[in-house]
Amino acid sequence: MEVDKEVNDGSLILLKQGAEARVFDSIFVGRRCIVKERFSKKYRHPTLDSKLTLKRLNAEARCMTKARRLGVSTPVLYAVDPKLNTLTFEFIEGPSVKDIFLELGINGVIHERLDDVAKQIGDAIGKLHDGGLIHGDLTTSNMLIQNGTDLLVLIDFGLSFTSTLPEDKAVDLYVLERALLSMHSSCGDVMERILGAYKKSSKQWSSTLNKLAQVRQRGRKRTMVG
Amino acid sequence: MKVFDIYGGNTLSLSLFTDVTNSKVLLDSIQAGTLEPEVALLNASLIADVFPILVAAHKTLVAKSRDALTTRTLHSELVYNYSGSKHITESFKRFGISDSSTYILAARCNASLDEMKAVEKLINGKEIDLEELAARANEAQIQKHYKISGLEVGLSSLADAITCRIAVRDAL
Repeated sequence: MEVDKEVNDGSLILLKQGAEARVFDSIFVGRRCIVKERFSKKYRHPTLDSKLTLKRLNAEARCMTKARRLGVSTPVLYAVDPKLNTLTFEFIEGPSVKDIFLELGINGVIHERLDDVAKQIGDAIGKLHDGGLIHGDLTTSNMLIQNGTDLLVLIDFGLSFTSTLPEDKAVDLYVLERALLSMHSSCGDVMERILGAYKKSSKQWSSTLNKLAQVRQRGRKRTMVG
Repeated sequence: MKVFDIYGGNTLSLSLFTDVTNSKVLLDSIQAGTLEPEVALLNASLIADVFPILVAAHKTLVAKSRDALTTRTLHSELVYNYSGSKHITESFKRFGISDSSTYILAARCNASLDEMKAVEKLINGKEIDLEELAARANEAQIQKHYKISGLEVGLSSLADAITCRIAVRDAL
């Protein structure tokens, strides 16, 4: 009788803490994993708090797996725990697109590398949007390039939702455009390359890009109320 | 047979059998609830890798520790969880064994060595290595039951796709 020696020791190492969740590095059934815990907000009414937390936990799990079904690489989801408010998913080895772009900015731009990454980003967003999924937080730190395969993996679907409105898609792209401008202006016009790939990947590109032009004029929020 | 650690000292023991001749007897005793020791018998042609089974076992054991099983027993819950569907009867039909099954994976949580020996005696068939799972899996059936599109197959393995479906079921 053989015994598989990889024991889940249950150890959690805190990697990052945000406003909504804590992210840990751990082991799940013998594999390295990420545990994302949504903690409760003490300033909210307890009933409302537990409802919101659970709803967002489930929404994130759904969106992550929906993205995979649309052909966009995301970490493999291992477990959802509605009692502990945790998601457990695959640990992706590789640098973030943010780190790659920052390095390209410092050491001089390698055009093939930049083109490849931008093309993958545009292609992935096009697939999501055609499938009616809005990522909601498209920044370069939420995109990883997996070691070995050099494939783009999207992470953090905490703000994702489903919508087919050109407005929502345009705002999704606009958020990315602003993030690129503020972080990576030294890489040249990456957004143009991303939008080029987006046009090829999304069938509904035309209405989205028209809307994007309008959103650029007025900013992310539609109305000035609230 | 092989033993896997799931979490916190809980284990899952797996044995794979081919050319099984007594599946009708086994099925009858499962349905009567008289199979001793209690064991989950799965349609092995729908299993391409052990990892999704371990994920299902993890989910099952966590539910058990909270007294939150959906089905009647721990091992029926394992089959139900592996199916990735919310339809219990359909899960058993597809992922459990039928009268004519010849290729079966036996799984038992926290089994002792003696219990697994007893399981091996229950099943009239030839035990083979778990490595055989990948080559013997019916990929077309797996894709159909889990509704895995060509797009998704292009970017990840079947095992990854199944794992996601098992994990996300209760969030849908």
